[in-house]
Amino acid sequence: MIQLFHVSKCYPGDAPVLDDVTLRIEKGEFVWLTGPSGAGKSTLLKLLFCADQPTSGQILVGGRNVGRLTQAGVPFLRRNIGVVFQDFKLLENRTVVENVGYALEVLGASDSEIRERALRRLEQVGLKHKATSLPLRLSGGEQQRVAIARALVNEPTILLADEPTGNLDPGLTDSILQLLFDANARGTTVVVATHDRGLLSRYHKRTIALDKGKVTSDA
Amino acid sequence: MIAHVAWRLSRRAAVNLWRAPLPSLVSVLTIALALFLGMSFAIGLAFARSLLVSWGAQASITLYLDPATTDDQARALLARVLESEPDADAVYVDRAQALRRLRVDLGDLAGALDGLAQNPLPPTIEVTPRGSPEPAVVRVIAAQLQRLPQVAQVDYGREWLDKLTALGRSLRGFGLGSLIAVLGAALLVVANTIRLAVYARRDEIEIMKLVGATDGYVRMPFLLEGALQGLLGAGLALGSLAAADRWFLPRVQQAFVFASGVAAPQILLSHALLLLGIGALVGLFGSWLAVARFLRT
Repeated sequence: MIQLFHVSKCYPGDAPVLDDVTLRIEKGEFVWLTGPSGAGKSTLLKLLFCADQPTSGQILVGGRNVGRLTQAGVPFLRRNIGVVFQDFKLLENRTVVENVGYALEVLGASDSEIRERALRRLEQVGLKHKATSLPLRLSGGEQQRVAIARALVNEPTILLADEPTGNLDPGLTDSILQLLFDANARGTTVVVATHDRGLLSRYHKRTIALDKGKVTSDA
Repeated sequence: MIAHVAWRLSRRAAVNLWRAPLPSLVSVLTIALALFLGMSFAIGLAFARSLLVSWGAQASITLYLDPATTDDQARALLARVLESEPDADAVYVDRAQALRRLRVDLGDLAGALDGLAQNPLPPTIEVTPRGSPEPAVVRVIAAQLQRLPQVAQVDYGREWLDKLTALGRSLRGFGLGSLIAVLGAALLVVANTIRLAVYARRDEIEIMKLVGATDGYVRMPFLLEGALQGLLGAGLALGSLAAADRWFLPRVQQAFVFASGVAAPQILLSHALLLLGIGALVGLFGSWLAVARFLRT
């Protein structure tokens, strides 16, 4: 599903952010991507959804070489990838259901279809009753659940989450992670970047550790 | 699906316009002002051009013949002139007739002519081009007639026509330059307004791109917004021009009494459509510039 071959990412004048990373993630896997701040976790995720380009090496996502994608091809790759961020990235002036339906709008779905699918996804994350609320009226945990609902609404084959619980109280972490485990159970390949070692010890999954841009362990 | 998307994007463009009324109003007013000034220049130029053409048409061409030319030779020459210039009227004025005209023109002073031993005036052929030829056309006709036999001199108010031509050329150049300048200014204002709108909605654009929106999908509402601003600006300019046409132009025409017979240009449907088209294009192109730069970065 995801393959990286000798991938490096450098910015002029700085040490490499990623240094000769080679790894393979199978379809349907759940993977922790861990390491201290600055290890290269977020950069690796950005390369996977084409927000950045590697300096060298090859990346295959869903069998497609992202380095060979044209600018016009990137959106079509992204439609198969859901992304969740630490800061949620919700539109403050749109309601919860509009935020979730946003991913369907670009696919050309009708208004009724968008609403129906967005509500169904909100029901799965337990927020159907907040469908018409604005995001700022929700708690951090609720906002992250909305972000996960948006990432999953068009049923992507890959879900990338960058520190999805980083801004949340510890008590909310488990409920958010459960949504990611549920998505994985339905067949979605999930990659979660976190520096929270407590999560790794509580939930035993494949863990890829990065340090200074290099893969230090994969178990 | 295309209908859904088109409807959604159009709705979004209208909503965006509504949500940021002040910047949109600035764009609309700028486009309206630019188009109003541009169209006023065009109308002014068209009026000046009609005026110049009418003045050019009034300048008749006088062929002064050799004093030794007989009446028969002069009439034969007149026939040649009429044959070579089918779009002109021509009359032969013999020496006696010329003297009679001079007497009439001199009025009380006509007695001074009694002392002349002989008639000093040459016979002439007066050629008046029909229609409203351009000064350049009058000049060409005069040059052709100059080559005919027995024609000693040709007078067609050359200096006057040259000045008219130069004036017409200057007006055209100035009008075109001004039009380009005001439309360019409008384009920049629209581009900057849309750039502000794009910047204000950068989070939305980032999320749109994140969930797989193509550049075209991101760009389209902004282009529609620009085109809408352009159309509204053009509509406003048209309204102002129609008002000026109704209340201001008749007074101008009265002031130019010497230009009687020259009709003030009218705003036709084709002009209105052209103006709306230019307005939409200015808005569209301004938006394109703003969004293209943002998408590149």
